[in-house]
Amino acid sequence: MIRTLQEVFNRAVENLYFQVTTYLPPLLVALFILLVAYALARSIRWLLLRAFKGLAADRFLEESGLSSLFARAGRLRAAALLAAFVYWTIFVIAALTALNVFDTKLTSQIVEGAVFLFPKLLAAGAILLAGFWLAHYFGHSVLLWACNEELPRPRLLASITRTVIVFVSVVVAADALNFARNVFLAAFIILTGAAALAAGLAFGLGGRRAFEHYLERRSHSAESEKSFFQHL
Amino acid sequence: MPSDPTGLLPAEALSAVTSIRSADIVIGIPSYNNARTIGHVVYAAHAGLSKYFPQFTGVIVNSDGGSRDETRDIVLSSRFPDAHVLMVSTPLKPVHRLSFPYHGIPGKGSAFRLIFQMAESLGAKACAVVDSDLRSITPEWIELLVRPVLHNGYDFVAPYYHRHKYDGTITNSIVYPLTRALYGQRVRQPIGGDFGVSRDLVARYLSRQDWETDVARYGIDIWMTTIAVAEGFRVCQSFLGAKLHDAKDPGADLSAMLHQVVGSVFALMQEYSGVWSTRSGSRDVDLFGFRYDVGLDPVEVNLDRMKTAFRNGCDQLHEIWAIALQPGTLAAVLQLGRAVPSQSPFHLEDPLWVRVIFEFACAIQRKPIERIHLLKSLTPLYLARVASFVEETRNMTASEVEQRIEELCLSFEEDKPYLAALWAGKPLPPLSPREPQPAPPGLEVSKS
Repeated sequence: MIRTLQEVFNRAVENLYFQVTTYLPPLLVALFILLVAYALARSIRWLLLRAFKGLAADRFLEESGLSSLFARAGRLRAAALLAAFVYWTIFVIAALTALNVFDTKLTSQIVEGAVFLFPKLLAAGAILLAGFWLAHYFGHSVLLWACNEELPRPRLLASITRTVIVFVSVVVAADALNFARNVFLAAFIILTGAAALAAGLAFGLGGRRAFEHYLERRSHSAESEKSFFQHL
Repeated sequence: MPSDPTGLLPAEALSAVTSIRSADIVIGIPSYNNARTIGHVVYAAHAGLSKYFPQFTGVIVNSDGGSRDETRDIVLSSRFPDAHVLMVSTPLKPVHRLSFPYHGIPGKGSAFRLIFQMAESLGAKACAVVDSDLRSITPEWIELLVRPVLHNGYDFVAPYYHRHKYDGTITNSIVYPLTRALYGQRVRQPIGGDFGVSRDLVARYLSRQDWETDVARYGIDIWMTTIAVAEGFRVCQSFLGAKLHDAKDPGADLSAMLHQVVGSVFALMQEYSGVWSTRSGSRDVDLFGFRYDVGLDPVEVNLDRMKTAFRNGCDQLHEIWAIALQPGTLAAVLQLGRAVPSQSPFHLEDPLWVRVIFEFACAIQRKPIERIHLLKSLTPLYLARVASFVEETRNMTASEVEQRIEELCLSFEEDKPYLAALWAGKPLPPLSPREPQPAPPGLEVSKS
């Protein structure tokens, strides 16, 4: 009995020793890699923020409207964007390298998957960025049109426009990533159909009167409209 | 030998050029569904050419935007009794009348382009353009627009009209003060619509590549004036009396008109930044014609609607305004918006209005992709300025109103260093209002 217990104990110790000698060095190496990468990423981010201040890229961000998309009054700077991108790229590469140190089937699969996914992630990111930019642009267009046409609730109309465009871009991005493709597609079809039905019913039942009022106001205000144009 | 230097004339127009061969004066009339008034305009142009320029070959060119009424037929088929016009001498040369549909972007600018192409192809020494909806045009207008070019060596003749104090508010509140402050010449009606142009200036206009922009539409008038004053062409004005014309299309979009005109001013500011940044102050421009007082059509304004539009703009558009306006200016505008229902009289002060315009101009230079949004968001601010102007000048005479516009122009000129600094991205001087202006009779000027 004692002998059996001793064998079990020895096996446990051997296992522990094996585990420690097998996994501790890679774990330490992985931690070291992560620490070095963290320090490196922070240093490079710091350097980039100072070195690329006032770049021509800042002008591009401002001219394209991307800066006002992410930050009010255009506070987004190209240097900050670039620094953040480099920071996270270094960090992700370090994390993958650290995982690779373990040299197991699982980690290899994770690394392989991540490398394979990277271009798709980039494409999805670009789709989302374009979607957000379009949503921002058309949101402003609808807001201005509704406000200048004196339509009720211009901000609501603009929000609906933005939401629809963002939703469509999320569906497209998910499709690019091959992520829950069917779920998103089904959701898209259901929501689009529901929105069309709701809009039809709302317009038919409730909005018709409001629209009639609007048209009536426009036709009756032809005289005052004339006075607006005479200012030219 | 007639030719088509531009190579862009439609076949119909080219055939007319080949037939007429050459002309001294071209009178251009852009039109679109103007059957009701164009007969009178063509008659006045015809009589003006016969009466004042009998020794010159004249051509009246109607450039039509696809009218569905009888506009073109009236131009081509009407017979005018010359005996009714008091002639000093018998016309020696004929007056030809032509009418063509123009191609390209629908708008006044595209119509003008065809007229200028015809003038250049015919080798005209002078070209004048007049609107087709004018009710107050007389043969003397043709003389006043053409003679300074033909006999005095001027390149550009701008109109000078008597207008109702509430008429032409885009001119009075934005275009005239801004153009004057930028380029230093006091052209009182820079977007008047009726101009005289020399052969050199016609050639300069046709050589430009920006015809497909807002210039093709309502931007054409300020485009013509700005090129003339910025590029050193000889500019003068002719007093034409009153401008009485048909009301503009009520279906048209005020916001579109405003943004095409103001957008053209701002776009030209970018092109000529090297010119305006070196000029300061302003000088008078020669004025021809005998000045006299005239009766004017009343202009009705809807003050409440304008103020409501501004109030709604403050509620809905402040985030777009924040892209263009400096924080101090935005805060002042929003404060004014909050006071709309209670503040009486409503007053948007000159220095604040000047900063709004300058800051929008600079924002559009910095952010070309958001240009259209910024320009359209200007509409409620413009209506606020008009409402303020109307309230302030309600009891003023025409000369007092003119004095008031002069004060606004001086504010634009005085604050030009702010524009230059903002444009160049330099540190900005603070908002410093001019000396308080005396309140008009019966009104107290509020401080906001």
